[in-house]
Amino acid sequence: MRKAMEEMRLKAIQQATRRQFFRAGGLSLGAIALSQLVGASTPTRADDHPLAAREPMLPARAKRVIYLHMAGSPSQLEMFDDKPELRRLHMQDAPASFLEGKRFAFIKGVPKVLASQATFSRHGESGQTISDWLPRLAEQVDKLCVIRTVHTDQFNHAPAQLFVQTGSPRLGSPSLGSWVTYGLGSENQDLPGFVVLLSGGKTPDAGKSLWGAGFLPSVYQGVQCRTDGDPVLYLSNPAGMSRELRRRMLDTVAEMNMAEHEVSHDAETLTRISQYELAYRMQMAVPEVMDLSREPQHVLDLYGAQPGFVSAAESASDPRVLYKGDDPTFANNCLLARRLLEQGVRFVQLYDWGWDHHGSSLGESIDETLPIKCQQIDRAISGLLVDLEQRGLLEDTLIVWGGEFGRTPMMQNNVRTELQKGYIGRDHHPFAYTMFMAGAGIPGGMSYGETDEFGYYPVDKPVGIRDLQATILHQLGIDPYRFHYTYQGLDNRLIGPTDEGRVLFES
Amino acid sequence: MSRLLLLLDKPNAHHQTARAQQLHRLHRRAMRSLLTALMVVLVGNGIVGAATVVAQEPPPRVLFARDILPVLSANCFACHGYDEAARQADLRLDLEDLAKSEQGEGIPVVAGDPERSTLWQRIASDDSDLVMPPPDTHKALTDEEKETVRLWIEQGAPWQQHWAFAPVERPEGNLDDQVARRLAQAGLELHSPAAPQVLIRRLYLDLTGLPPSVEVADAFARDPSPEHYARIVDELLESPRFGEHWARMWLDLARYADTKGYEKDLGRTMWPYRDWVVTAFNQDMPLDQFTVEQLAGDLLPEPTIEQRVATAFHRNTMANDEGGTDDEEFRIAAVKDRIDTTVQVWMGLTLGCAKCHSHKYDPISQADYYRFYALFNQTADADRYDDGPLMDVVSAAQQARRAELTAEVTRRQAELDEQLAESLTLEQQGPWRLPRFDRLTAASEAKLEVDAQGAIQVSGDSPPEDVYTLELTLPPGTYRVIRLEALTHAVGNGVIGLGRNPQDPNFVVSEFTVERLGDEPESLALEEPRADFSQSGWPVSAAIDGDPKTGWAVSPRPNERHQALFNLASPLEVTAPTTLRVTIAQHYGNRLVLGRFRITTSGEDPSRLTPDSESESVAQARAALQETREQLNQLNASVPRLPVMQELPTARQRETRIHVRGNFLEPGEVVEPSVLPAFHALPEGAPLNRLGVAMWLVADENPLTPRVWANRIWARVMGRGIVETEEDFGALGSAPTNVDLLNWLAAEYREQGWSLKRFLKQIVLSRTYQQSSVPSPQALAIDPANELYSRGPRFRLSAEAVRDQALAVSGLLSLKVGGPSVMPPQPDGLWRSTYNGQSWIDAEGEDRYRRALYTFLKRTTPYPSFTIFDGGSGEVCMIRRIRTNTPLQSLVTLNDPVYLEASAALAGRMIDAANTPEDRAAWGLRTALVRPLRDGEAAPLVALYEAARARFVESPDDARALIATCRGTGSQEPPEELAAWIVVASTILNLDEFLSRR
Repeated sequence: MRKAMEEMRLKAIQQATRRQFFRAGGLSLGAIALSQLVGASTPTRADDHPLAAREPMLPARAKRVIYLHMAGSPSQLEMFDDKPELRRLHMQDAPASFLEGKRFAFIKGVPKVLASQATFSRHGESGQTISDWLPRLAEQVDKLCVIRTVHTDQFNHAPAQLFVQTGSPRLGSPSLGSWVTYGLGSENQDLPGFVVLLSGGKTPDAGKSLWGAGFLPSVYQGVQCRTDGDPVLYLSNPAGMSRELRRRMLDTVAEMNMAEHEVSHDAETLTRISQYELAYRMQMAVPEVMDLSREPQHVLDLYGAQPGFVSAAESASDPRVLYKGDDPTFANNCLLARRLLEQGVRFVQLYDWGWDHHGSSLGESIDETLPIKCQQIDRAISGLLVDLEQRGLLEDTLIVWGGEFGRTPMMQNNVRTELQKGYIGRDHHPFAYTMFMAGAGIPGGMSYGETDEFGYYPVDKPVGIRDLQATILHQLGIDPYRFHYTYQGLDNRLIGPTDEGRVLFES
Repeated sequence: MSRLLLLLDKPNAHHQTARAQQLHRLHRRAMRSLLTALMVVLVGNGIVGAATVVAQEPPPRVLFARDILPVLSANCFACHGYDEAARQADLRLDLEDLAKSEQGEGIPVVAGDPERSTLWQRIASDDSDLVMPPPDTHKALTDEEKETVRLWIEQGAPWQQHWAFAPVERPEGNLDDQVARRLAQAGLELHSPAAPQVLIRRLYLDLTGLPPSVEVADAFARDPSPEHYARIVDELLESPRFGEHWARMWLDLARYADTKGYEKDLGRTMWPYRDWVVTAFNQDMPLDQFTVEQLAGDLLPEPTIEQRVATAFHRNTMANDEGGTDDEEFRIAAVKDRIDTTVQVWMGLTLGCAKCHSHKYDPISQADYYRFYALFNQTADADRYDDGPLMDVVSAAQQARRAELTAEVTRRQAELDEQLAESLTLEQQGPWRLPRFDRLTAASEAKLEVDAQGAIQVSGDSPPEDVYTLELTLPPGTYRVIRLEALTHAVGNGVIGLGRNPQDPNFVVSEFTVERLGDEPESLALEEPRADFSQSGWPVSAAIDGDPKTGWAVSPRPNERHQALFNLASPLEVTAPTTLRVTIAQHYGNRLVLGRFRITTSGEDPSRLTPDSESESVAQARAALQETREQLNQLNASVPRLPVMQELPTARQRETRIHVRGNFLEPGEVVEPSVLPAFHALPEGAPLNRLGVAMWLVADENPLTPRVWANRIWARVMGRGIVETEEDFGALGSAPTNVDLLNWLAAEYREQGWSLKRFLKQIVLSRTYQQSSVPSPQALAIDPANELYSRGPRFRLSAEAVRDQALAVSGLLSLKVGGPSVMPPQPDGLWRSTYNGQSWIDAEGEDRYRRALYTFLKRTTPYPSFTIFDGGSGEVCMIRRIRTNTPLQSLVTLNDPVYLEASAALAGRMIDAANTPEDRAAWGLRTALVRPLRDGEAAPLVALYEAARARFVESPDDARALIATCRGTGSQEPPEELAAWIVVASTILNLDEFLSRR
């Protein structure tokens, strides 16, 4: 019977303005002045719009989310989780306990233990250990809650990315961002409520399903904003169609649609009129928000951003060999994320590809590629944290950083068994890895959980993907256990069918 | 009474918490059920009263299936239902006999006596330790629901089967009677018919997905007789466009796509299956046959090619080619997807949860799930990279052509052989002599044999590199020159060449050495090497330079005979038979070694001997053969290889175990295959395999298949299902808004021999279908969502129809049927999938404007304008599309090149069709909307034309730019004129009425 609730919601989406019709008391809708419906400057905030902002179910710490996903999975052992024991056992055969009953993607036989290729130091008042490859982020360490014990049950990229982003390793479930915009709507109707930005030259392994709406209505799917070409697909008018002429044309469309509505009385027609107006405003609003040149130089410098920069890696068939430490693409995306959030976008998802450091071919090594990738994100993320704080946005913006799994304490050995510069790699490791959260009531300057001396398993406070998802929803004021969508007879939840997911920080 | 309903439907204006909203809705629903029941009584008695009258009437009759079962399902069965593992307190409420007998602390349901019923006691309790459901489940019954339960017990607690599981019985009367009866209960009646042209456009769009011409619609308006209408219906049902339109409905369910999904998302040849579906709809294949062929065509006796093609239905499952994945994991995922899809599509039930635990609401246990799974677990596909098993889908024309070419190859091969034999024989009578071979060996295991022409054929082991050693005996005489001939032979894969690698039939002779064998082998120096042809950088001199890294090779001509001649530095005079050892070292690798060759000698003056090229006649015969072979190869390469279902042989069939908690790495007990035991039995004589499942699904005893399918088809035509949750006919699905109508349709569909065309004809001939979509104020108030079908539905066209219609009215649409999927324009840079070499290349010519059905569908990057209009990605079965209305859709029809090009084409037609701006605008609008225009309706377009034209006169560059972007060049019109009409045409293509079917 809870079904009724979702059906009502669906109806609201399908007949968005029907209720408006009733509110008008059954009067002829022709009586509603056209200008009220098509007024160019008033944002549409009808309560019945599917993306209208909604109050959360519970008190919320976070109003918006920026999720930084490093596709391919960064090595926790070079970035956050320092393990001296690995240095001691460097290049010795991995203990049998590492291997028994395990499935690996590429490791064969008995691999060697691999010491961290980075050095670590303590930083901030909290004295947290962080890699020397992340010097600027280290300065912000008191803002971070570093979760060292995340574990997943998927060890291939596409299923693992889907699992963390949609709650299911198979395709067809809504993404986190879709769930959140379904639950909370968006504050700005001139922009998409859920925006996705890509860098690293490739779409993440699981493709656009990672920001798909799954079984939720398609209005909740993420909209990929591109930094090259049309920022939103089909946003630009064709050459020769000036904005004034477009306005003139849309006036005619609206006028004729109103006339049609007087005949048909179909509320959908009114919705369509307002959607054309929204589209028109998006044509202005999206390029504006995507235009980094509007930012002052000191802000650009804070992130290391460069307006208009298009990296060669973004269109290369193998971008990895073209990675450069000063490539500002990711930094640009971080700054764009802030601009979008500032404008009321609910959820911004960044995917940075190129973190799969197996060491089996050029451009994917722990020793040479990972430091470059660290450099690309170090200034950008620390800049984002500082900028959000300065603007007072950090206290209600949730930041999540991480990959889809971690990397093994052993060196990958299917191609090379000896250390070779530029070819040192680690395989996929689902049992324990590091993510961090910041902002929006997340306790900063702390480590959550602890791994064993090899960084192989959690020994204290393991954090499952379900816990992570429950926590994100909870921070947003959404009860992760009750928040569901009935589809095909199941009450589908982001956190899956069981209640195993726990909220990490009860506030 | 209508006021009352209106009151109920009015949304609560206050912003509520989700919980409060939920309670509110539960309340509304319970109230509505009661009120509906009440109204039946009232209407039956001819009493129409206000709310006060209602309160004084005796309590309405509670219906278990409608009022109680949903409440129990949602609140109780999770812990007191079918799932044994989750059952609490050993108490079961889902079976009548158990619910009405002593269980634990008492009898849950005592008929007629709520106070003695523990069910009532517990749901009504105020004590938080006793109340059911327990507070921590976040579930609760509303007061109205509790009261309904109490009333039901008081009324004797009659039990009923869940409505969807009850046998289908056809109610009295015809289709319209069912609708009218339900409308009458709500105080409504069938609406007046739609205007003729509107009706014809509706009919065309519903049956073919394309609009009619104005001429056809006007002809009907002149003669709107039922006979004329029926004739048009018949024409449309016979049109090839019918199958293309209805195939799309099925392909959503079949999760059709042109790629494999997941990370690599490589291409997959599935379009022969798509074409099979189109043909099946066009031929009106009955549903039972449609079911059997797709689920188990391969298991039919002597299956036809088409029946095997049909089984690709369940090969639309995704495959994961990502490095390091466990194939078994994804094979199992595919098998589970097949089960989910099958049960959803035919039975309207969801088995998803039974993978991990027994179903809580519908009678399906986890063991039942895996028994059913066992039936599907026996196919040969295994998430392998090659996507096998595959079948060559050879068309009749291809088959004929293949036979022709094969015969031609045989004939030309014989010709060539004859020529070669002749030339070899002729040469032997010339200056060249064959030695006698004593020993032929290879460094590898390859076999060397001399044939009738004295040529040495190499066979067997085929290593990357090799060294041939030949010991030969020379009769007495003088020897001055040694000749090495590389001869053509069948290398493999239909390739004729010299070497042994079919991909590269070249050879590299690294070193060619000759020794005289005696007590001490004596090396014979060679000089003046010459060949009829040498590859650039690989001269024949390199074969005797002592450097094994260099050598003689013959690319790009490795498919014809070549000769190399070497002079002996000192002529060899022998008086007694003498043995030589010739060594041919070939160290290049990649199997570039000689496959057939000959060694001959001559005593003639070396200056008179030159290496011959192949004779003209041999070359011609060879070229002819090569050409035919290439044609055959091309033909074979063009034959699509389709993934199909193939049953494992009995000896290799898999054992099926329960997957504990759904995890295949945790195998539980072994299960035997079986259909779902809660439903009817396997039909008599049906085999216990996929074929049996198919027969079981379409068996007469199955009430779900006809209901689910009738509802689905009805929903496609009428905008919403009678059961709105088309995907769920189980206990949690929504109730039918008109159960008689659904039963009537289900019975009709099945009794008409499962013919979709006959069924659709019944629907479109009905008054219900032909109603005007303009609602009466009364209908709008009482039936705002048209759940009772009080008017003709008006809804936005599907993604595919939006595109096809724009192309059709602009005259661009190609009606080419079938074949590989095509790539109409999409924005650059969308395909950036990981490790995937495929690219999207915008089609030119006809393929740019094919029907949307034929657009290439890549699962991880579906065609964007379709997903924006709610189209699917083909990843999983999509039972229905939720229609949305978004600004991104507006951007598509405003700016997508497809619609821009359609605008230019429509503008061209408008200009050609009339001379004045008024007539042109009216012509364009009429062509798009089909119906006659209202007075002054095109006037805004004329005004727009004038404004746009004025603007383009001012900025002619803009006019030219717009024309170029819209591909409108080539017109003789002045640019400002054409550009202005493009703006007008684009306006027409963006009108709500145009995008809607009404």
